[in-house]
Amino acid sequence: MPKLIIDNIEVEVPAGTTVLEAAKKVGIVIPHFCYHPALGSVGACRLCAMKFLEGPVKGIQMSCMVPAQDGMVVSTTDDEAAKMRSLVIEWLMTNHPHDCPVCDEGGECLLQDFTVAGGHGIRRYRGKKRTFLNQCLGDYIEHEMNRCIECYRCVRFYQEFAGGSDLGVMGSAARVYFGRFEDGALASPFSGNLVDICPTGVYTDKTARFRARYWDYDMAPSVCPHCSLGCNTIPAARYRELLKTMARRNDAVNGWFICDRGRFSNSPVNDPERPRHPMIEGREAGWDEAFDALLFRIGELCELHGEGSLAVVGSGRLALEGSALLPQLAGLLGAGFLCYFTDDGAGDRTATAVSLLNTDNAASMADVRASDCIAIVDCDLLEEGPMMLLAVRQAWRNGAPVLLVGEHSPLEQAKAASIEAVQISFLEEAPLGLFENPVVICGTKNSSPAAIEKLARAEARVACLLPGPNAFGAALLAREHGGTSLAAAVATGKVKGIVAVEADIPVELLEGVALVAAFDWLPTEVVKKADIVLPTTAWTEMDGTFVNNEGRAQRFRKVMTPGLPIKGLPERYHASADKPAPFHPPRVHRKEPPGGDLRPAWRVIMDLIERLGGEKTEEPLSGKLEALRDLDPEGEGVRIWEIDG
Amino acid sequence: MIPDTLREELKARIASAITTREAAVDVMKELQRHYGWLTDTAVHEAAELLGLSTLQVEELATFYEMIYRRPVGRRVIHVCDSISCWSVGCEEIMAYLQEKLGVEPGGTSADGMFTLIPCACLGNCGEGPTLMIGDTLYGRLTPERVDEILEKERKVL
Repeated sequence: MPKLIIDNIEVEVPAGTTVLEAAKKVGIVIPHFCYHPALGSVGACRLCAMKFLEGPVKGIQMSCMVPAQDGMVVSTTDDEAAKMRSLVIEWLMTNHPHDCPVCDEGGECLLQDFTVAGGHGIRRYRGKKRTFLNQCLGDYIEHEMNRCIECYRCVRFYQEFAGGSDLGVMGSAARVYFGRFEDGALASPFSGNLVDICPTGVYTDKTARFRARYWDYDMAPSVCPHCSLGCNTIPAARYRELLKTMARRNDAVNGWFICDRGRFSNSPVNDPERPRHPMIEGREAGWDEAFDALLFRIGELCELHGEGSLAVVGSGRLALEGSALLPQLAGLLGAGFLCYFTDDGAGDRTATAVSLLNTDNAASMADVRASDCIAIVDCDLLEEGPMMLLAVRQAWRNGAPVLLVGEHSPLEQAKAASIEAVQISFLEEAPLGLFENPVVICGTKNSSPAAIEKLARAEARVACLLPGPNAFGAALLAREHGGTSLAAAVATGKVKGIVAVEADIPVELLEGVALVAAFDWLPTEVVKKADIVLPTTAWTEMDGTFVNNEGRAQRFRKVMTPGLPIKGLPERYHASADKPAPFHPPRVHRKEPPGGDLRPAWRVIMDLIERLGGEKTEEPLSGKLEALRDLDPEGEGVRIWEIDG
Repeated sequence: MIPDTLREELKARIASAITTREAAVDVMKELQRHYGWLTDTAVHEAAELLGLSTLQVEELATFYEMIYRRPVGRRVIHVCDSISCWSVGCEEIMAYLQEKLGVEPGGTSADGMFTLIPCACLGNCGEGPTLMIGDTLYGRLTPERVDEILEKERKVL
């Protein structure tokens, strides 16, 4: 490991680390634009100049292009280097408009930060600036080319990293233009990352346009709930409205990026149709009243149909905290069935996948990126986990062959990331044994338990895509507590009552069920049909844990206070119902925000447990899961086998 | 639409290249010769022939100054304004051409005959000031020489 001295601080870094990264390691951040850890160095923006005083190279160098070596003595504060950086940032700023006050990037703009850090404050250039016509890039991304400083990050991400072919760089010299051939929506399923990766406001999130500044956001480290991969995110909310989602770095999971589904699926949290109050037979009620009614109705049900006629149903989207309390609730309610999955097949396939995985063979997305041969078995990654496709592309870029196995692995997924894949019929045809780090990726949507079981015999590590952000946790609990699928339970004919906790149940399964109670934050079909509804918080409104597809438990933090968005607040919450809606939010003193009397699902379950005479605790994770209580939301997460101890 | 003979010719040219991208410039030049300039239709045709996206063709087309993405006159005059020609008076030559043709740089003369475009270095530095029309390079330009060249190029057509 080379040792070098930067600004009189001794640094030791792994071989191959650039001097720019080495300086970052000891807290010295030198402005840079073209270099990005995920995209590598190109030495094009000329901004990261440092003075090399001793060692194999001397003088002013671009620190992103020089690998750290023994004996180097480097100064970042040297006058000549500082002067160069200030001149370079000045020329990068020559054409940049003074539109920060009306730019969505303002306040979260790397160009603002690095202009100041680079030592440029007063514009000397008085000439005309070059201007461009912008393009319409679809519903999600706003284009403003005048702000461009030609760092090429967007095109390097879009074409090289993500394999897109419809956004690029046109023209030459001072007329360089980043965009599409013609107006139109960006085709890559990873296009939203342009917003994060652009150091300034050329690409901004259209869905959150003109809504808030960085310092106004309610933010917290979170985990994406839109598939089982558990990509790390930073949701940003203001005035009780979830405005946008940004990627959060986790090298073991998603790396630097997230997919467009994860980034742009914010509207359900703000949906005016969300259940906001406990409901009894379609009538709003208080929590106590609703709990009483629920327990009374369950009592009635048991009298009428006997013990065991109730099913308690969780799901792959219910966080681990709630899932872990379900067995206790089912026990106290005398429920005959504890279900973590609705449909038979999904439950079986997930259970098979989870029992197949262990600490040695479960492949993370980092393992996939580092793999040298990949087989995708009966899986459409675009549907079951788009970020896995981006991981596959990185392996493919490094030379790994990509095999699409079986009829349920469409070629379109490979095309979406410009991967040249080979289609084969059976996994046995894949020469996995010839490679050092092969990975088999398998879906659970269109495969069979038998096919998943076969993966155990493949000479490769395995990554399974599961149905839901906590499907892994649900399957573990189902195995431990003898859970069955709701479909199987209903087929016995004994189920007369269902308590659905954030579970999506097809309407057919509810037919002939006398009592349906739904604890949910989404306005699902079950919620609409339910006799008793207890409203829960969305993942952005609570602390919780998801166990992702490779058994990695990750903590997400409460981002925002639950409640109806102030924008468009219904009339019933206005100060006076008979006056026209005020321009300003109504100033009425309340204990909680309108529509904000929601509880996390685990809290609802805990309240019920308490009423049923169970022990009340503030810690939903107990027993083996106790080790997850202090999980660091900003760490890499903990694999479930590591806590088995 | 390009004629089938040209399409087959271009396909053969692409087939003989190691990577299709390598043949892109040749394909664009041939299409430009056919249409007069590289029309949007031509970009689509090039993309289809080369197996690239239209954007990828556009990236190349807009990089090269002798690929024209806008209509041009029947002859295109590229006047070098790079350092060597600048030091021996290319600005006067450019000004003379602008006056003579009645156009700004980038413009096409009213009779549709000439389009005037500045360019950066034609590799003829020893013979500056220099310009290029079609595949012919002209060096050591003077206003008189420019008159002769324009007469000659008019007659070519």
